[in-house]
Amino acid sequence: MNDHPSLGLDDVVHQRVRLGILTIAHEARRVEFGYLRTQLDLTAGNLSKHLSVLEGAGLIEVEKGYEGRRPRTWITLTPAGTTALADEIGRLKQLIARVETTPED
Amino acid sequence: MTSDSISADDPRRLLAEVRALAHRVRADQRMTWAALLVLGVTTLLAIPVDWFGMRVDCHSDGSCEFARNGMLYFWPAAMVLAYAAIAVWYFRAARARGLGTRVLPYAITGAVTTVVFPAAWLAVFLYFRSHPYPDGPMPYWQFVLDRLVMPWGMIGVALLVLVWLERNLALLLFTAGYLALVLLVLPMNDGFASPHLGFRAGMALPQLIVGVVLLLAAAGFARAGRRR
Repeated sequence: MNDHPSLGLDDVVHQRVRLGILTIAHEARRVEFGYLRTQLDLTAGNLSKHLSVLEGAGLIEVEKGYEGRRPRTWITLTPAGTTALADEIGRLKQLIARVETTPED
Repeated sequence: MTSDSISADDPRRLLAEVRALAHRVRADQRMTWAALLVLGVTTLLAIPVDWFGMRVDCHSDGSCEFARNGMLYFWPAAMVLAYAAIAVWYFRAARARGLGTRVLPYAITGAVTTVVFPAAWLAVFLYFRSHPYPDGPMPYWQFVLDRLVMPWGMIGVALLVLVWLERNLALLLFTAGYLALVLLVLPMNDGFASPHLGFRAGMALPQLIVGVVLLLAAAGFARAGRRR
């Protein structure tokens, strides 16, 4: 049975932007759409697509509202999102450890 | 960052990016200067309360008995208000930046520590109702413990929680220096004994130093934050 850590990677999470979104949401507890767009240097449309993927997978919750007259979209991590992020980081660390311990040919 | 799918051979770079993002978010959430400013102002406000609320009975042999009743009434309420103000300030600033905040455990810890001082005062009071006062000087560790449970010591203990929440190395260094100052250097519990200072002034001077230190630190952290 092949237990290579790369086989356990989740395609939804194992993507640079989506991993960035989960990381920021985890650290921030709650993050606004505009902050994510600035930090990840994305267009609104591109960020929305990634958010839809994460929301569809149940990893984040999106809450739309107003602050005064200004529309605001807040993103929070779900418990499944927290677990997925921790798993992904664990797999990445395993991959690094495996690369470091595998002797070169 | 791009939206490229990552290959299995770049986990190290990806982890480094994750850590950099996490660090940036934590840095953006920090309002360390605001916490220090509120605590510094509260410390300075306590000085006149302590001055006028202190009962001092000096005897002909030069010894004095004192009771710092003003502190007992001022600090518990002041600390609850101070930590509530810090929490609101953090919350509003983080929200304006588009972030949540992690200050709540700090504010709760700070507010909870306010009961330590009156509880310790009450415990000592009840103990000496049924036990004689010791003849000799207090052991040094009891002096340090006495200073730790006082409001200035508790400010330092609560700051350690903020250090942990913010993963803030600069604040850790400041807090270590601050705790050394209020526990080991300044006579927070019995004041400076100097013929040039009156009894009340001897008590006020260490508090003034602590308040100024907190305000200077607030200015330093604010300046560092603006630079960043």
